[in-house]
Amino acid sequence: MASTRVNRRVGRILAMAGKEVLHIRRDIRTLYLALALPVVMLVLFGFGISFDVDHLELAVVDQDRTDLSRELVRQVTAPQEFVVVQDGTSPDEAVGALRRGTAMSVLLIKKGFAEDVKRGGAQVQLLVDGADGNSATQALAKAQALVEMAGRKLGGSIQVAAPPLEARVRTLFNPDARSAMFLVPGLAAYLLAIVAVLITALTVAREWERGSMEQLFATPVGRLEIVVGKLLPYLGIGLLQVLLVLTVGAWVFDVPVRGSLVALSLGSVLFLVGMLGQGLLISVVTRNQVVATQVATMTSVLPSMLLSGFIFPIENLPPPLKLISTLIPARYYVATLRGVLLRGNGLDVLWPQLVALALFAALMLVVATRRFQRRLD
Amino acid sequence: MTPAIEVHHLTRRFGDFTAVDDVSFEVGAGEIFGYLGANGAGKSTTIRMLCGLLKPTGGSARVAGFDVDKEPERVKAGIGYMSQKFSLYLDLSVRANLEFFASAYGAHGRELETRIGEMVERMQLGAVQDEVTGALPGGMQQRIALASAVLHRPRIVFLDEPTAGVDPVQRRSFWELIRDLASRGTTVFVTTHYMDEAENCARIGIMVDGKLVALDTPEGLKRTHAPGRVLEVRGPRLAPALDSLRGMAGVLDVSRFGSGATVRVDPERLPAESLAEWLRARGVDPLEMEDSAPTLDDVFLALTARAQRGED
Repeated sequence: MASTRVNRRVGRILAMAGKEVLHIRRDIRTLYLALALPVVMLVLFGFGISFDVDHLELAVVDQDRTDLSRELVRQVTAPQEFVVVQDGTSPDEAVGALRRGTAMSVLLIKKGFAEDVKRGGAQVQLLVDGADGNSATQALAKAQALVEMAGRKLGGSIQVAAPPLEARVRTLFNPDARSAMFLVPGLAAYLLAIVAVLITALTVAREWERGSMEQLFATPVGRLEIVVGKLLPYLGIGLLQVLLVLTVGAWVFDVPVRGSLVALSLGSVLFLVGMLGQGLLISVVTRNQVVATQVATMTSVLPSMLLSGFIFPIENLPPPLKLISTLIPARYYVATLRGVLLRGNGLDVLWPQLVALALFAALMLVVATRRFQRRLD
Repeated sequence: MTPAIEVHHLTRRFGDFTAVDDVSFEVGAGEIFGYLGANGAGKSTTIRMLCGLLKPTGGSARVAGFDVDKEPERVKAGIGYMSQKFSLYLDLSVRANLEFFASAYGAHGRELETRIGEMVERMQLGAVQDEVTGALPGGMQQRIALASAVLHRPRIVFLDEPTAGVDPVQRRSFWELIRDLASRGTTVFVTTHYMDEAENCARIGIMVDGKLVALDTPEGLKRTHAPGRVLEVRGPRLAPALDSLRGMAGVLDVSRFGSGATVRVDPERLPAESLAEWLRARGVDPLEMEDSAPTLDDVFLALTARAQRGED
């Protein structure tokens, strides 16, 4: 008896899921969009939004004009991180270029530099446009490293005189400091959050708007069966997206998968279920596609971008936002992905993140199913 | 045999508004029961309570042998429901809709195929079953909705304004399907505001402002609420004459249509000959007058007017 009841339940869930698949097939463009969007955005973001600083415009003011000073400039510009846009101008002209924005930094080599090097106490001056703090910090750090390296090669030590700036450079597990390494995990979480929450919110709200929800309520299909049946196909699409993003990440950006695949899969499923649950809750509460879209954007898309560690490191958030970020599941998913992809972590390290994701998913499903009364009042 | 639907003092309030007010009735198995009323009279609210979709505020109802408040799931398994708001999946094919609803009610495999095949034949959907539902005309969609509501062979089917917005020809063929269902033993509970359709019902309940103000066979209703003789009159200068006719002793009701009017009279107090004489005297000459039968429209208008005057 119990088994036929379970059979019937499974049958009704499959009926719901099958119907949803038909809806998706009918509206195949949405599916293409759901699969193409992550790839396109990953490529755009990966190449476009780079937090790396290279090809910095450098104005060189070489007042020494010796072989040694020219060699220094060559050494500094060799790795392509600085590109000389002006050479041999006066200090005033160089600062003018900085003001106009045609140059980002100025390397000033004073007369007597070569002799100072031989004596072992040479100094060069570096001016950096501080309008863009992030770039300035990185430019300064890079220039400092390059000049010091060049100094060692030239057989002396050169000090860079520059206004003291506090630099935070994180390069421990990302030795090349490549942004793609950081972006791919963050972007994956962000894209899944958009697609999962938005699509579910829309499809469920559509059933309310069309009135077919009332028809569903009049059938023996239970609310848990409606919920699970409706979410299953989107869970499938979501997992496909994860695979796609990781594959593109590996191919195009050489983002490795160093850690545990179990942790990766578990984290992805839990995160997706949480996001789908959130989308469901939104649509159950709003029952309207337009409002659902707005609420979904406010509660999932923005936090997943801003408070997940995707763009702004969580450590750097102001305390109130930091507190809020503990409620954002994307934060734990980003941490899981970075752990697995970059640090090679396994379940032993990542379990707290997975527990957080599981809690969020459970909470969303319970609240959504509760609110999802199969009555109309 | 126990009635298919038993309703006792059923009441539903939304805040201060009482949508359904202390309604009681019974519907026998295999009966076509019509539920009539203006928009907002409480028809849909009653149906939703009987389908287990809305919790009653007071009173009770048993449908297919189960209490709608305490065992709504059992009620749902035993009934079919076609809601007023059109609720097929318009982006799916006709067959996909039927398959979905059949499996939602637990049919699968060969049983599902048989039932769908049988329903497609009965509702004459063979030619369109692979078409996208939304592309079909309204009358066809209505038949598909009915098919999906009765695929699981429910004992009782609730149809909430099934023919709203459908042309008269389609309405007639739809009612043939309803009569066919009833002849196979299905109890049909149908709401409508087309009075001509209501004539198809074995019994009719009339709702005015949440109250069930009358319940009888169509003939019984006419006898009780539209008594007297109905005369159809035509002629020149009818309009001013009709105005002074209203309120005259023995005149029960005057309603105009097109170029003429129907006058319902109490033949004891105002014989047809006297009325004809009176009208000719007012210049309605040549006068055409013929006997007509009272319709449910007359009943409905009489009941609504009485309710508006605050009588009970």
